[in-house]
Amino acid sequence: MTRVPGKATEEHAESGAPPAAQGTVAQDTAGGGPEAAGEAAGGPEVPGEAAGGPEAAGEAAGGPEVPGEAAGGPEAADGAGGGSDGHGAPDGRGSGSRFGGRWHAAAFAAAVAVLLLGGSAFFYGAHQLRSTPSAQNRALTDTVATERVSGEVGDGLARIFSYTPTGADATARSARTVLGGRAARQYDDLFAQLRTNLETQKITLNTQAVRTGVIELDGDTARLLVLLDQTSRRDEGAGTSAAAQLTVTARFQENRWRIVDIKAR
Amino acid sequence: MKLAVRALAGTRPILAAALALTLVAGGFAAWTGLGWYEASHDESAAYAVQRDRALAAAEQAVQNLNTLDHTKVDQGLDLWESSTTGDLHNQLVQGRSEFADQVKAAKTVTTARVLSGAVTELDDRAGRARVLVALRITVKAADDKSSEKDSRMLGELTRTGTHWKLSALGQAPVGGTASG
Repeated sequence: MTRVPGKATEEHAESGAPPAAQGTVAQDTAGGGPEAAGEAAGGPEVPGEAAGGPEAAGEAAGGPEVPGEAAGGPEAADGAGGGSDGHGAPDGRGSGSRFGGRWHAAAFAAAVAVLLLGGSAFFYGAHQLRSTPSAQNRALTDTVATERVSGEVGDGLARIFSYTPTGADATARSARTVLGGRAARQYDDLFAQLRTNLETQKITLNTQAVRTGVIELDGDTARLLVLLDQTSRRDEGAGTSAAAQLTVTARFQENRWRIVDIKAR
Repeated sequence: MKLAVRALAGTRPILAAALALTLVAGGFAAWTGLGWYEASHDESAAYAVQRDRALAAAEQAVQNLNTLDHTKVDQGLDLWESSTTGDLHNQLVQGRSEFADQVKAAKTVTTARVLSGAVTELDDRAGRARVLVALRITVKAADDKSSEKDSRMLGELTRTGTHWKLSALGQAPVGGTASG
């Protein structure tokens, strides 16, 4: 018995067994003492096989390695550091196989748990990153949507706040396509009052959106700051210019941005 | 050898199941890891952060530059200078003493409140941004009478290091041609 383990170990080294296998043996030695190591490395069938040459020895030594690889594998070794302790033991020690099996199970469970926990942490982290208020706001980051909403809102404001004494119907009509929700009701009330003055005093109002900035754009809701220039003219008199600043809430409905709230700033 | 084979054959179903489970768990970890990596290296998210920083800096700077107390002129003008960079900063530094004298003589207290602001342009790489800011300015004269005025301003920001500072600021013209 004293010679065989020695030889097996020698051939083990000669056959160029992977470092993992050597590590396994070494750890086993530390755990189970020199005799157990001999058994693990050589195994009961070694005498016959050892004569076959270094390859067979390598295989014999590799025997216990296989479960080890399956247990954690080199790539999962970080997750199941404890698993390597059990590698050599089960097949080498016949009586200890149940104990070793438990170690295997524990190693698997640990590896799987680490992977699942790590995966969940990544998943949660990614969700956190994507759901910050900054990331949720698509203003300017989604250039196409940003341009579209500023264009449609600016255009809409210019149309509903521009009217001529004879074109009140046209303005009211465009308001129905531009406005929605609370803004539509407010505008109807306002425009009903305005309409009588408009026709008797011959008021013309021309509105232009000079600057439009998207404050917030999240899915189908947007908030914008719009700077308006308004020129009003009574009858044939000279026009007077005024500036207006509005914050507008728009909602994407029926395939276009509708203004649902207007606040004068 | 035979024993090893037998041992393998005996544990194979459990091994296979355990291996499959580990592979699935590994796949899950790899997939979520990739998702996390993509999210943390998302350029549009980084761009969005710059946009929000630029807007916050712009609103603060515009408010600072419209706030001045004649009893604390030096303090106020220091704040003006620290909120700005580039041409605007140079102008403020050059005109400082003259302006300070005017404010001390007029004995006015000016305060401002930002009503709303938005970034209209952002060049993340060059570190430049343009903003619109609507604000209400209150001027309290020497005789304690105060007047309010709504103002709309166009600002340009430049990033210096990690901070955004105003490099140009002006009233949005009224009656000009439509743009942007």
